[in-house]
Amino acid sequence: MNGLETRRVSTRILLWIVLIAIVVLYGFPFIYMLLTSLKTPVETIAVPAQVFPSLWTLENYVSALTRDGVLSSFINSVVTAVLSTLISLVLAVPAAYAITRYRTRLGRVFILVALVTRMVPAIVVGAPMIGIFHSLGISDTSLALAIADTTISLPLSIWLMASFFEAVPDELEEAAKIDGASRLGALWRVVIPVTSGGIAVTAIFAFLASWNDFLFALLLTAVRAQTTPIVIANLQTQFGLDWGTMTALAVLYSIPVILLTFVLQRHIVAGLTLGAVKG
Amino acid sequence: MLRNTTGLGRFSRRARVTSAVAVGAAALLALSACGAGGSTASSSSGAKNLTVLVEAGGHGELQPIADAYEKQTGTKVTFVELPYDGLYNRLNSEFSSGSVSFDVAALDAIWLPAFKDALTPLNDMFTDDVKADLFPSLVDGAQIDGTYVGMPAWANSEILYYRTDLFSDPTQQANFKAKYGYDLVPPTTWQQYSDVAAFFTQPDAGLYGTSVKGAVETEWLANLSQAGEKNMVIDSSGKSTLGDQASLDALNFYTSQVPNAPAGAAQVDWAAAQNLFNQGKTAMMLFWAHAYAQIPADAPVTGKVGVAPMIGGSAGIAGVPGPWYLSVAKASPNQQAGLDFLKFAYDNNALSVTSSLGLAARISAFEKYQDDPKYAAFKPLIATLNAPATISRPANAKWQQIVDSVLIPMIQKAVVPGADNQQLLNDAKAQVDAITK
Repeated sequence: MNGLETRRVSTRILLWIVLIAIVVLYGFPFIYMLLTSLKTPVETIAVPAQVFPSLWTLENYVSALTRDGVLSSFINSVVTAVLSTLISLVLAVPAAYAITRYRTRLGRVFILVALVTRMVPAIVVGAPMIGIFHSLGISDTSLALAIADTTISLPLSIWLMASFFEAVPDELEEAAKIDGASRLGALWRVVIPVTSGGIAVTAIFAFLASWNDFLFALLLTAVRAQTTPIVIANLQTQFGLDWGTMTALAVLYSIPVILLTFVLQRHIVAGLTLGAVKG
Repeated sequence: MLRNTTGLGRFSRRARVTSAVAVGAAALLALSACGAGGSTASSSSGAKNLTVLVEAGGHGELQPIADAYEKQTGTKVTFVELPYDGLYNRLNSEFSSGSVSFDVAALDAIWLPAFKDALTPLNDMFTDDVKADLFPSLVDGAQIDGTYVGMPAWANSEILYYRTDLFSDPTQQANFKAKYGYDLVPPTTWQQYSDVAAFFTQPDAGLYGTSVKGAVETEWLANLSQAGEKNMVIDSSGKSTLGDQASLDALNFYTSQVPNAPAGAAQVDWAAAQNLFNQGKTAMMLFWAHAYAQIPADAPVTGKVGVAPMIGGSAGIAGVPGPWYLSVAKASPNQQAGLDFLKFAYDNNALSVTSSLGLAARISAFEKYQDDPKYAAFKPLIATLNAPATISRPANAKWQQIVDSVLIPMIQKAVVPGADNQQLLNDAKAQVDAITK
């Protein structure tokens, strides 16, 4: 093995070590949560804590799934996140398209202002929403929560979609127009299919923003639209903390997102690459 | 041409997909307009539904009462549970917005001053008979600026938990007597508590005398009252009393237990202290009375736990009452129904004893169950809450801020070895005065 090959192998080994370290760093909390969810109630609070259960049990999962309100909160989380994602995409795609294609000064101001809304603390937006949704008669509904969650995801969605649209050459649309397509037709039939990877990335970010939202769910839901993050938080009371049930529920709540990420993995990578190579 | 090259079939499939998405979105929208948790719609008459906002877990205390109320009146009570910190934020936001999603709320005693203007006065409910059946500190805490705004729902206080297997061990008893010159019994004074904690501290055996909770403030506040402080942190003129002799004595005693406790006191909170005791790592624990009934059946200490009143300092025993109050929102459209529920909840307060938390507010309710071994914590609780030195936390709208930004950070610094307690108290006094001015 010559010097160049040795250096290449060494670099590769070093990269693998760094990669494994990063995976362990990010993955360990989740693995620990998973292992805790499989411990007996006494072991979950053992001092000092042990990583692996001495007695493996699904008791905490039974407790989590039979708890009042868990199933309905799960349905609410799905409905809210899907709805928020749809609203976010329906608004972000045309907004980002108009900004990138018309390239007006107003468009540049708009996209900057959209980003500024991300700098406003959510509680500032949440408090007035209570009164607004009450007036509209949609208090404690998934629709109200989805609208609120969209305020978190929309600015990021617009920025993401704008970067993906920028990467699509104007010539593609012009070719479509020569073939008789209108601007909207070109957007629908050419640009959107080409940026489907980017849309998948944007959709995942929007979905996650809503799926993990706690503050708006806390402020805007009661019984009908309460989502799972609130139910999980409710396991910590002033007088005690049910670690086993809490971790079991958190694991269950993570599964859809993990599955979604795996299913859309190809699109995510493609989408990120699309944004990255934009020249 | 684009249209031709993509083909008619492809457009038809796209159209079908688009239609399917549209139908799905419409269905989702319809579903989202109600949510999956069932309806909470209240009739404007307020007769058929009541919504009660409670801290997570607190719902259990009120469920037996709600069930009896529905049976008697036909009014369904729906509980909305929120985590403790979130509940305060929710109440604050809703009261600020002027529109509330609930009729009745269970409030921590320390929140009443902050929300008093948004709560319905309850003066008519506090008759002499009612006041006579409540602990003085609970009556005191229900009244803000001369107006009663909360009806006690359940009360709590720290009491002493100790390991009966250790205290009744003849070898331990003999060794203790030989070392300290008096019998090994559940401690009643600071000195006894210190002696017993030091005696049982054997790190090599994995056992400590007690735990020191650096991440919470209530136990130190109890020490403050035990040391003879008549005004907890803030006096009647609104000035802080921190830095005086009683506060220094209390902080010195609190931090003196650090060597008798597991390491990392600054991060120990209620849950950690409870875990340490239930795991058999500490011989004693000062903790809320409800925890007696919550010792896990398979915990190492199950069947080996005794309870006694809170320990005492120079002013005698004292605890910090931890009551929760039921209040009716002024903005509720069902105000009268809410008041009726509060009256019913008071009349049937004893039903709460059989719930998960196992607490009540009325003295008569505690006394009804105090001789049952299952409720052994009630006698020490009654003794602690009735102790003359037991006082409520100050009725100050900024109390929560004082706790979070001044008291807990001060205690966390104090439990670090070498801390200058007098200086910490002086600094804390300046911070509290700046908050309350």
